[in-house]
Amino acid sequence: MNSTALMRNVGIVLAKEVIDALRDRRTLLRLLVPAVLMGPLLLLALSSLISSLEDRAEKREVLVAGIEHAPTLRNYLERQTFTVKPAPADYEARLRATTLLEPVMVIGEDFEAELLHGEQPTVAIVSDSANQRAAGGVGSLQRLLSGFNRERAALNLALRGVSTELLNPVDVEERDLASVQARAARITGIIPMFIIMAVLYGALTAALDSTAGERERGSLEPLLMNPVQQIALVLGKWGAVAALGLAVGLLSCLSFIPAQWLLKSDSLQAMFQFGAHEVLAFMLLQLPLAAGLGAVLMALAIRSKTFKEAQAGSALVITVVALAPMVSLLNPSGDAPWYLWVPGLAQNTLMMWVLKGETLTAAQVLPSVLVGAGLTVVCLAYVARSMRAAVSR
Amino acid sequence: MIEINNVSKSFTSRTGGSLLKRAPKQIVHAVQGVTLKAPSGRITGLLGANGAGKTTTLRMLGGLFQPDTGSITVDGIPVATHAREALAQMGILGDAHGLYPRLSARENIIYFGRLQGMEADAANARAEHLARLLDMGSILDRRAEGFSQGERMKTALARALVHDPANIVLDEPTNGLDVLATRSLRAALRHLRSAEGGSKCIVFSTHIMQEVELLCEHVVIVAKGRSVAEGTVEELLAMAGMAGQTGRFEDAFVKLAFNTEGVAA
Repeated sequence: MNSTALMRNVGIVLAKEVIDALRDRRTLLRLLVPAVLMGPLLLLALSSLISSLEDRAEKREVLVAGIEHAPTLRNYLERQTFTVKPAPADYEARLRATTLLEPVMVIGEDFEAELLHGEQPTVAIVSDSANQRAAGGVGSLQRLLSGFNRERAALNLALRGVSTELLNPVDVEERDLASVQARAARITGIIPMFIIMAVLYGALTAALDSTAGERERGSLEPLLMNPVQQIALVLGKWGAVAALGLAVGLLSCLSFIPAQWLLKSDSLQAMFQFGAHEVLAFMLLQLPLAAGLGAVLMALAIRSKTFKEAQAGSALVITVVALAPMVSLLNPSGDAPWYLWVPGLAQNTLMMWVLKGETLTAAQVLPSVLVGAGLTVVCLAYVARSMRAAVSR
Repeated sequence: MIEINNVSKSFTSRTGGSLLKRAPKQIVHAVQGVTLKAPSGRITGLLGANGAGKTTTLRMLGGLFQPDTGSITVDGIPVATHAREALAQMGILGDAHGLYPRLSARENIIYFGRLQGMEADAANARAEHLARLLDMGSILDRRAEGFSQGERMKTALARALVHDPANIVLDEPTNGLDVLATRSLRAALRHLRSAEGGSKCIVFSTHIMQEVELLCEHVVIVAKGRSVAEGTVEELLAMAGMAGQTGRFEDAFVKLAFNTEGVAA
């Protein structure tokens, strides 16, 4: 048979497998909930957390217990345009119970007198490290108090005729090199993980159904008794598996577009650029993943006698690939070159770069394409070889 | 015309065993010398007990695996070397005949027709023709997931016959069918064998004596992987020393297959 006949048969098998999978509405719906809704929901939750942090920063309020003992400090705080509010009496209990979400500055009774005599009065910043929102506000209180310290010291030295520059032998200047998108990528870094998982889940059911499922139903044997090349059957099935993986991945991608309109934090919304360009880039990056993993899942499933057995066999692959992005989150030393050779991790790294607004080079993309193509060829050859053996056992 | 010439096949199997201990390898001689010659226009029965090697023989005929020894030809085409050409000449309803539950009967039939090289229109016309022949018009556009045993069997048979093959191979097609369904299947097979039906070559495996007596002009008895006797029902009765005693075919079969005196149970 020539290659036209081969392609014709591949097309017939592919069309049938896609129709078959799309008619499985219940499975599809159950698959779309985690794939399409989870990511945007998590993003929205994160954005509302960020916007509440921003609100607190905008409010410029300080909770102080015993401010009446420290008129000098009060004066300083008010000059920094902060509003001083008295802390509730039961602040310790409320911090522990996470009902009070801000740290409290506690001032002793003799603050003013000790300050005048240079006796270093103690100011406590009370927080609870298990109360994350309150703990997050400690830093700004510390900065306020060290500002106060600096001002007092400078005044004291100036009175004695000493240059205040002696206090700052080094002039510290901060420069943030991250682009706007790079800063947003710290939050949006979860998106690639969800898209990778969506591709996996989309490919998974189709891969298992067209191999182990077909065998379990007893339809693989009659299928093999058609005068069709093994490789045409395998290619058609694999094409459908990869296409479904990509389709669910695309839906997951698209679901982030409406999600960004709903972002509560204005600054995050301004930073988070997720449009047609990003979707297109993401989908192109998923191609090798969908192709390679579709083939791997089919190769694992073809030897299984039942759908259940195949699911158990694929659990490891799914877990490894879905958790691969964690490596880059947990590795503090930055992206390593070998990341680009690991399926899942490579796609995650590349998508993160796209989100940061960087332009990808061929050298960066090539490893994942090579790995995907290699996996596809090896696994499909294995599936084609195993199909007959599978039914005769 | 199907010719199976002295084929044999053995498998190595590993069954039994426990969680910690692997089962020892066992060699199972599934088929060790089956010969069958089925000309066109005749229904040839392959009669044997469970595990006699019928299904293995028919799977080799379908090219799923190669026989260890012996040869199989279909219309003169050797299955071993030209499996695809041979398969195009055959319609096989095997032991496993699962349908695609989310496709309708029509779509199931057309899918296999397309894989047999037919155009979609031709396959559709053929599906409608077979639906009339097998009396399954009412289920043609229903999805296969809710089908009864009989409806599944009819659909699988139509799927195997979609390319109008000259040779039809059926592996225990009456399993699980009720009386009416069995009767209509018999009528359909008789039609396919007749000149108007196309004088098909039909090979029919079963372990049910009644089917053989009612349907088959020629019977090959298989026991323990070997073909032990062949002939018409009358000839087989005569071989067992029960000439003319119609109704005692079961005893004749037991005697011929297991070489023991058949005792009516």
